[in-house]
This record gives sequence, structure tokens and C-alpha cells, in this order.
Amino acid sequence: MSELELRLEELGRELVFPPAPDLVPAVLERAQRGPFAWRRLGMAVALAAVALVAALAVPQARTAILRFFHLGGAAVVRVETLPESTERARTEGLGFRVPLAEAERRAGFQLVLPPGERPARASVLGDSLVTVALRAYGKTLLLSEFPSFGPGSLRKLATTEASVQPTHVGHADALWIEGPHAFEYFGRNGFVQAPVRVRGNVLLWLHGPLTLRLEGPLTKAQALELARRTR
Amino acid sequence: MVDRPLDKAELVERARRGDLDAWETIVRTHQGLAFRTAYLLAGNAADAEEAAQDGFVKAYRALGRFRRGAELRPWLLSIVANEARNRRRSAVRRDRLALRAAVEVRPGDAVPSPEAALLAGEQRERLLAAVEALPDEHRDAIACRYLLGLSEAETAGALGVRAGTVKSRLSRALARLREDLGEEWA
Repeated sequence: MSELELRLEELGRELVFPPAPDLVPAVLERAQRGPFAWRRLGMAVALAAVALVAALAVPQARTAILRFFHLGGAAVVRVETLPESTERARTEGLGFRVPLAEAERRAGFQLVLPPGERPARASVLGDSLVTVALRAYGKTLLLSEFPSFGPGSLRKLATTEASVQPTHVGHADALWIEGPHAFEYFGRNGFVQAPVRVRGNVLLWLHGPLTLRLEGPLTKAQALELARRTR
Repeated sequence: MVDRPLDKAELVERARRGDLDAWETIVRTHQGLAFRTAYLLAGNAADAEEAAQDGFVKAYRALGRFRRGAELRPWLLSIVANEARNRRRSAVRRDRLALRAAVEVRPGDAVPSPEAALLAGEQRERLLAAVEALPDEHRDAIACRYLLGLSEAETAGALGVRAGTVKSRLSRALARLREDLGEEWA
């Protein structure tokens, strides 16, 4: 090996690399869930659109919508059957991954987070739904935030298989959804996220002008405790 | 029965059957080098993290196609590096590489004089600047082979080219560095 090659090897040992992130939680989460099925999603979008049109067009079908819960920018709709929807990997289908500061700039608000949590990256869906992955209670969780700019920006569809319980985070209204349900997201500029099936539990609550959504395999008590610390 | 660490082949076999604990061990073992490789190829930490993460997920899903008995590390690095190279095509800028402030003096080493230390520091900076000024395909070959210490076969896998191409790129890159740096490096 020449002198120059030796110097290059030495140079490699003296390089300063950014700290290597721990990739394990995200890799395992995604590996466990399987690939994101775009083809199935496309079919699901088509079927959901047909189901929605049918539900609104046929008078008897309108009775299938049983009850609404409104919370900030979210609405939870009780239905008899869920629309055809796809189950996504929990960390996929959440939009573009960008540095956290860039996500906040695009969405136009600063995220509220549990103390000590400041993930390097966040996902932005549409123009205002920002999602970060967190670890708490040994579980990987998703925290999504968006401005409560009008009813129906996030719509959750739940059958009687899922329980929907009004609750509170501090003095703020909240909803705890336990069991399978689907959600759709509507952005400010006409962006629409196709229905996505969710199996984990979800806590929705208000924080100032924002609506927050915590998804993951937590108990209600754990989710409420984490929500109270998120400010 | 005595518990013992699983060897690489057993880990791969278990991961292939869907054992996520085995895959976790594999990711933990290789994630540092995978990230550094992706960083040098993609040019920034954010793209490197994404490339490494996507690479490990794709590798897990492709384990069925991994040839039994083959070396795992070159295969993993080739997938991660491919992700990193794809990201670089759309990247706007590359982070400037940085060196440690001072070379660590190991026990038993003679302590260099301040002048000698300054000179050595300047030489390292000049060498790094010359590497960074190389055309991408030469710079990548130098980065993988020397800065990361990959074997020629691993470098070929990471760059998606044949071993012979790596040899010729390295040869041209070294000649270019010698030309740029002058006689002291000949």
C-alpha cells in the first residue's frame, strides 16, 4: 500500500461523522407491518369512494351514520360498517419525512411535545398534519398535530366494535377510541388522504389552537398521562 | 443446553423465518457502518438516516433472495448504499466533511512539536479538500475503500459496479490526488 493510501486510511479514522441514529425501533416497526400496498390502497380508495357516494345517495344508507363526535379539527363518525380501507405500516403513509424544523415551517405552527422529546425528523401530510414517532412505555407511538381550522379536517369512522369515550386531558376535551377504526384526512388545499385502517388505540385532544392525536398500543391511563405531559 | 451467541448464518436463517429478534441483532451490528456509508454517499445526515432505515427494511423483505452462505455485510451495504446514491441525485447540497480537532496521541507515541502538529493538520486538511474536489465516482471509490475501510468487493457492491471498475476508479483517483497535492505525496 502506498504512502498516499495509508494517509487516506488514517484520514478516514479522523473524520467526524454525525452521531449515528438508533435505527432499530423504526426498522422493526416497519418490518413487522409488511410492505405498504399501494395497489391495495388504490383499490381501497376506489371502493371507499363508491361506498361514500352510495352512503350519501341512498336514503336508507344515510341511517348507517349513527352519531357524530366533534373535537377541534376532528370528527368521529359512528357507522355500521367501515369503508373498504387499507391497513398501513404505522410509520408509513404519513407524508414526507423532513427535519422537524422544516416540518414546523411548512405546517406554520410549532409542535407541542412531551418533555425531553425533540425528534430529529417529522412527517408532513398535505400541508398541515405533522406526525412524529415517539417512544414511551417501551412502545413506538405516533403523535400527529394539526390546526383546528374547521370541522371535518380529520374524520374517524368507527363501528360499534370500537368504543369512543369522551374524556379530558386537563381541562381540554378529548376522545379515547379503542378498537379498529379508519381515518381520513382532509387538508386545507383540497388534499385528501384515503381511508386508512387503524388497529391501535387513539387519543384525540385539544391543545390551544391545535388538535392532537396519539396512536399506539397504550392503555387509556398511559395515553392520558402522556398527553398531560405534552405541552 | 448452554446459551451461546448465534453465529451470522444462524441469525440470517432465523431472520429469514421472520424472527425479528434476530433481525434486530443484525441491524444493531451493522447500523453504524451502514449510516457512515450512507452519509458519505448521500452527503448529509438526514438523507443518510432515511437511506439506512429504508435499506434495512428492504433487506429484511428481500431476505428470501439472499444467497445462503454468502457474506451478509456486503449485501446489506450494497442495499443501503443504493438507497443513499438514489437520494443524492435529488439532494441540493452535500455537507462538508470535518476532521477531529487534533490527532489523538496514543500512549508510547512521541508527542509532536507544535510546528509538526500544525503541519500534519494542514496536510490532512489539504488531503481532505482534494478528496472532496474529486468527481463523484472517484470520490465515492476513495470514500468507501479508504475512508470507510471497506474491502474492494464491498466497495464494488456499495457502488453498484464490478470489482475491476473499482480498481480502475481507485487508480485514476489516486493519480489525480497525487497530481493535485504535488510531489510530497508521490
